Amino acid sequence: MSQATDLAAAAGSTDPKVGLRAVLALRRLLERLEVVQVDNARRQGWSWQEIADALEVSRQAVHKKHAGRPAVPGSWEA
Amino acid sequence: MFERFTDRSRTVVRHAVDEARAEGRRPVGTEHLLLGVLADGDNLAVRVLAQAGIRAEDLRAAVARHTAGGVDGLGEADAAALREIGIDLAAIVARIEETFGPDALREAVPPPRRRWGRRRLADGRFSPRAKKVLELSLREALRLRHRHIGTEHILLGLLHEGNGLAALVLTEAGADLDDLRRRVEAALRTAA
Repeated sequence: MSQATDLAAAAGSTDPKVGLRAVLALRRLLERLEVVQVDNARRQGWSWQEIADALEVSRQAVHKKHAGRPAVPGSWEA
Repeated sequence: MFERFTDRSRTVVRHAVDEARAEGRRPVGTEHLLLGVLADGDNLAVRVLAQAGIRAEDLRAAVARHTAGGVDGLGEADAAALREIGIDLAAIVARIEETFGPDALREAVPPPRRRWGRRRLADGRFSPRAKKVLELSLREALRLRHRHIGTEHILLGLLHEGNGLAALVLTEAGADLDDLRRRVEAALRTAA
């Protein structure tokens, strides 16, 4: 079986255990990528509104989730 | 069910709970019980493992690799799961680290979700497998006609259960679970 077929088979796996585990891993990765990218945006001076617009969520949502963390490690001013 | 546990076994269980808590809101799993047994340092269980050529550090490292506390914040199981759907985690990590510096992804710890109900549920609780292991340790003690449950019985429970992350890292470290059980029982007979 070619690699592409393998992947296609796995992506649409009918075994819920395989599929759901992939979703969990994807969520873990997503959460971390979001932290990396939001911090980067803050360091570059983006406002919460701009970040929220880019993520297509409300400003309150992104602020509530990420404001409790210094964008630059070790500083709370940013 | 903890009344028959020796002081050392209680310490093992307490350590397991602490390990799980340190990882976030996860229930206590078999791997945490194994870490608890290893943390004790000098008990029959650890001595038997050492005799079988299994090093405690290797097991600890393997557990860290498999859980979310792995090298880049995502465990090996996560990488495997992502591979299943055609995502190369290593490539993503490499790209992120190239741009944002080493450890960027590992240090990007997501904020805890504020779900109090769920937190209470997971905190200090045992996974079904870990519960099974504790039950099996009691059963092993009864079978061997011991009046107490020691750290060695917890190890026997872990080996008997045979399916959790603890069993997986032991197998990966080259252990034969049945052989280990025989070794523990032999060591118990000599000790008695």
